[in-house]
Amino acid sequence: MVSSRLPAAALTLKQFLQRQKVLGLYRNMMRTIRQVPDEGDRKYLRDWARDEFKRNKSATNQDAVRMMITQANMHLDELKSSLALANVK
Amino acid sequence: MASHVLAKCVRQLARSSARFSSGNIAVRVAAAPVLSNSRAWSFTARSQRTRWNEQLLVSSPVGVLCRQYGHLPPLTLDTIRERVMYVLKLYDKINPEQLSTSSHFMKDLGLDSLDQVEIIMAMEDEFGFEIPDAEAEKLLSPQEIVQYIADKNDVYE
Repeated sequence: MVSSRLPAAALTLKQFLQRQKVLGLYRNMMRTIRQVPDEGDRKYLRDWARDEFKRNKSATNQDAVRMMITQANMHLDELKSSLALANVK
Repeated sequence: MASHVLAKCVRQLARSSARFSSGNIAVRVAAAPVLSNSRAWSFTARSQRTRWNEQLLVSSPVGVLCRQYGHLPPLTLDTIRERVMYVLKLYDKINPEQLSTSSHFMKDLGLDSLDQVEIIMAMEDEFGFEIPDAEAEKLLSPQEIVQYIADKNDVYE
């Protein structure tokens, strides 16, 4: 039996990678929202993104988390494409 | 009488302009004979004065309004620290009283990793450059942020 030197609360590799993914997604989301031209919309979107992430903060089921990441990616793509459309004029 | 007053004005102008320019001698020379009460002289004095007014108008704003493009106050460790702390104080979830340069965002200030991401983004906004993800997640206290920004901008003690 190999005793692990890691503390009991440490994340497994999969969980760790997923955590990085979520944080990267959040960063990406915030960067995209920063480009929204209207001040009010920007604040609304920022609060919305923040609330969504915080609401599911305690989710531990990996499949559920993966689904949520996919969903967030879809939202992000949608936001990006509408931003691109808004900037064309 | 009028020419007398005019001459006085010219002399005052000449004297005050002595501070601005070394080329005022000609004006003083022109102003001095005005005392001899001749109308012709007062005309030259007036034209002299208007010319001086023009010169003053032209020369003084140049010195004041001259813009130096691309000039920022130089970054020092102290100014970076000040700006970092200022941004942190404005962040709504941080209690400014608990904040110190060495406090850990998660252990001492009770923030989570999402808040930390937001703080780093606020720093990017403040200092105008992007912090890569890999390095962003290692910055967990104001002191580390200050050090990182100083390194990036080649600021040393």
